[in-house]
Amino acid sequence: MASGAPPVKGGSAGGVPPQDDGRVGVTIDGRQVRVPKGTLVLDAAAGLGIHIPIYCSHPKMEPVAVCRMCLVTIEKFPKPQPACATYVSEGMVVSTGDADVVKLREGMLEFLLVNHPLDCPVCDRGGECDLQDFTFRYGPSISRFPITEKVHFNKALPLSEHIELDQERCILCWRCVRYYDEITGEKEIVLQQRGVQTLVGTFNEQPLQSRFQGNLPEVCPVGALTHREYRFVARPWELQRTAGVCPECSYGCNLNIDARDFEIKRFASRDNPLVEDMWLCDRGRYSVPRWNSTERVRRAALHPRHGEARDVATGEAIAQAATELRHVIEESGPASVGVIGSAANTNEELFLLERLARNVIGTANIDHQLSTFAGISAAEHELGIAEIEECDLIVVLGPEPENEAPVLTLRLFKAEHKRGRTVRRLRPDPHPAEVASLRGDAGFVGIIADESNRERAAQVAAHLAGRGTVKRLTVTRGVNGRGAKDLGLLPNVLPGYVAARPAGAGGADILEAAARGEIKALVLLGPSSALQAAGDVLVRAVSRAASVVVIDTVPSEVTAHATVLIPGHAIVEKIGSVTNLEGRVQRVRPALPPATQTPAETRVLTALAAELGAADWPGGDPVSVNRALRAALPAYAAAGNGGRALWRVQVPA
Amino acid sequence: MAEYRLLTKDFGTEGLQTLKGYERAGGYQALRTVFGKFTPASLVDEVKTSGLRGRGGAGFPTGTKWSFLPQGVMPRYLCCNADESEPGCFKDRYLMDNSPHQLIEGVLLGSYAVQSNISFIYIRGEYRDQRLLLERAVEEARAAGYIGKNILKSGFDCDIIVHGGAGAYICGEETALLDSLEGYRGQPRLKPPFPAVKGLYGKPTVVNNVETLSTLPHIVLRGGEWFKSIGVEGSTGTRVFCCSGHINRPGSYEMQLGTPIRELLDEECGGMLPGSELKAFQPGGGSMQVLLPQHVDLPLDMNAVQKAGSSLGAGAMVFMDQTACLVDYSMRLVDFYEHESCGKCVPCREGTYFQSQLMHKLESGLATAAELATLTDICSNMDGRCFCPLGDTATWFVMSAYKYFRDEFESHCGAGECPVKARTRAQAA
Repeated sequence: MASGAPPVKGGSAGGVPPQDDGRVGVTIDGRQVRVPKGTLVLDAAAGLGIHIPIYCSHPKMEPVAVCRMCLVTIEKFPKPQPACATYVSEGMVVSTGDADVVKLREGMLEFLLVNHPLDCPVCDRGGECDLQDFTFRYGPSISRFPITEKVHFNKALPLSEHIELDQERCILCWRCVRYYDEITGEKEIVLQQRGVQTLVGTFNEQPLQSRFQGNLPEVCPVGALTHREYRFVARPWELQRTAGVCPECSYGCNLNIDARDFEIKRFASRDNPLVEDMWLCDRGRYSVPRWNSTERVRRAALHPRHGEARDVATGEAIAQAATELRHVIEESGPASVGVIGSAANTNEELFLLERLARNVIGTANIDHQLSTFAGISAAEHELGIAEIEECDLIVVLGPEPENEAPVLTLRLFKAEHKRGRTVRRLRPDPHPAEVASLRGDAGFVGIIADESNRERAAQVAAHLAGRGTVKRLTVTRGVNGRGAKDLGLLPNVLPGYVAARPAGAGGADILEAAARGEIKALVLLGPSSALQAAGDVLVRAVSRAASVVVIDTVPSEVTAHATVLIPGHAIVEKIGSVTNLEGRVQRVRPALPPATQTPAETRVLTALAAELGAADWPGGDPVSVNRALRAALPAYAAAGNGGRALWRVQVPA
Repeated sequence: MAEYRLLTKDFGTEGLQTLKGYERAGGYQALRTVFGKFTPASLVDEVKTSGLRGRGGAGFPTGTKWSFLPQGVMPRYLCCNADESEPGCFKDRYLMDNSPHQLIEGVLLGSYAVQSNISFIYIRGEYRDQRLLLERAVEEARAAGYIGKNILKSGFDCDIIVHGGAGAYICGEETALLDSLEGYRGQPRLKPPFPAVKGLYGKPTVVNNVETLSTLPHIVLRGGEWFKSIGVEGSTGTRVFCCSGHINRPGSYEMQLGTPIRELLDEECGGMLPGSELKAFQPGGGSMQVLLPQHVDLPLDMNAVQKAGSSLGAGAMVFMDQTACLVDYSMRLVDFYEHESCGKCVPCREGTYFQSQLMHKLESGLATAAELATLTDICSNMDGRCFCPLGDTATWFVMSAYKYFRDEFESHCGAGECPVKARTRAQAA
């Protein structure tokens, strides 16, 4: 730096050697930057906004440096070096745009296209293909290779029911092989043959078995691995992309919902390192047809116990619901009303439903599920997903947590194999000797169980208490099962895990009481699919109760027996927030227009509350409700959008 | 100076391949004395003193390579690279054929120096006879107590495992060799980390060539200083050169380094064939650049040959006379690399294929001048861009031949046939 120049923060002004702050100074294309030691040249350049093309390099995988696309010239190095595998060092001078680099990129793209079929017009990847994009940006305009000499391979080879492989389009970046080696550990895709005959494929042509194969087309930088479900379906520029949350389980994987013509065409990953770390499971990714289903409740309707069923305007349905509920309350008291929400509603809807039940109707009979969780507290939801990697020991009770939330498996694999943590998978009902053997592992312990084993998890936690930090994670059911618990949609707990006194009846008890005729009115906010497990009792309950007010999306026995039926909006059609199993509050946005013209649930609940004479009620739009929710629950105010709602955990004495 | 027989001194002696024969010729004396004479560290220093450089091609100083192993990280491994696959190269086969025990003794000495308790000899898959010979020799040596626990009551344990490759040239690259040995696809690894730090099974590893290791008994017996007195500064000792081509006596000859190449050609190889005139020669095997007749006055000295624009490489000398077509020769080499490319990196996998397509067209006289320009351009797009030296070296011979014999390359363009072959045919008629 010239003398007299103002000192630059973090720079080496005045010839004073920079302090060892764990950072090194590098110059890339004439621009100086200080980055942490151990940063790749690729990432240091990206920090400066300098684009270096890559194919084999992947942010979640170890470098292999095989595509040679990211070669850059570095002073004092005799040959160009791969930016994806070269770590910065003090005083390094990198050039990413000199004549050598320009020429070698052209050369590399020419090589990549030597045996590429150039079938972009019929390739699903067209429009979002790195090979196409970099060829436009850095490549030669013509190929000198005679097209007749190209090597030919299989073009549409099904690897499984979901994945198709085009071996000609493959540029052998190894990402799919490394995905299976490094991310899932399943090693299903291997390299075969050698030289220009090299292929990726499965060993002995056996089909892929992984529960995470839907990530393959996304790690593939070209059109070699494609979704069979998405084959010839859409061009990326025709898609309308909405940032969403996977509706399939409570893990809360971030994803992009790509829709066209009022139909979801695919779910694509949206990297959130704290949650799914960019990997989706197949159950979630391929659940698309469910959200495109046309089998929906579309009109508000009245099905009086005596008289003719008819479709009505929503306002009339709400008024009728209020009349029925008032009648039951006057006749038999508020305790004869049961309110059941669901784990698939937004926080805003559940927040209003809880107020409607406890404050407006005045019943303690409220739940969002069938089983009652005795002694539920915030302690069972304390461990964060990303924290799993920090645990010295992770105890997983039974296969259920990983079946409920499959992406958890990948986080456990990362903790075990990349971070060197100990993962112990025990039976849900572990032998006392097994539990005793855990005592030796002090430090930070994480215990993961599903809801059916939450009490066993508590026992294991109690056993390990006092030996360092012990945190539990319960894999809740339903996309917003955790939100429903936080918001007090439980008979024994008010919002924020405050004990409800007296406790009301839980989901199963409400239905049985209704079947016996003791509960006379039911308010069911659906989807009611989780209630189906009650079987016969459910049918008897909804047939016997004098008033059954149902807000639901999909026709079922419940909607058939509703005295008042109001259509609901599916979770991909509305705005709101959901809370994942670790308490992360994440926003959902409408990716599709609602399948019905009726108002969203928050407005319906607000109108119903107004009819019932509610005071101090937040406005009915989701934004106002969300504001009220945050005001009522400081943990949610602190979480904001994307943060974790953390509750004060009472350590059991 | 002429042939100097150090490694090959007893070659031809009856029964040298057997333990008894080798012992009769003074074998295993180095192993018997090494434990008393040297600590592992002092043996590394002794080899450093000797100036011994690797005989596999790159010519890296052996003692220095050993000293890169991090202190105190165990276990460590020594791997003997017997995957000799360089076009024109057969000197390791010659050494193993004639004296397998000399190699085994060398492996044991090297293992002692780097403290490897399990050492491997990775031998080329096609060298079946040599593998069987080595396996037999290992068994004999084990039975005699040279291999195994507490060797010669020294407290040093070392087992040797002979492992056959599966026929891939790339497995001669040291990291590909390690991958292959571990049971993976033979493909080079990303460096760093280098094998000295993270090699076989992630442990510190040295990989040494057959000839390098076979030299060790002689250094141990007679000292590094003595070894250094043979040869010249920077290229000490002797090397075995395997000579082929249009010469009277093709074969392997051990030469004191520093001897003029002409002496090797005229005296050991018996000169060019009658009627043959030296047109060009390749001094280091298929990977190395071509040299001209004026270069035969260069000494057999790694640095001197390097200065002339080529390398002694793996010690394979191919002499060509006026009937050899450099385009044809280039084409055959390019085909070899195209066939042997592992496919890991783009420029090598696709570049060698592209080269091969163009070379075939050029050799048959069907290429245009523009295609010749393309050929040299893709060579420049490969050289220095590839993951490992295989792809880089696939261009070296072609580019050097193009430099020295540009007329020959250009005369092929549009000729309809190979002009050199046509001329040879016409002269013969």
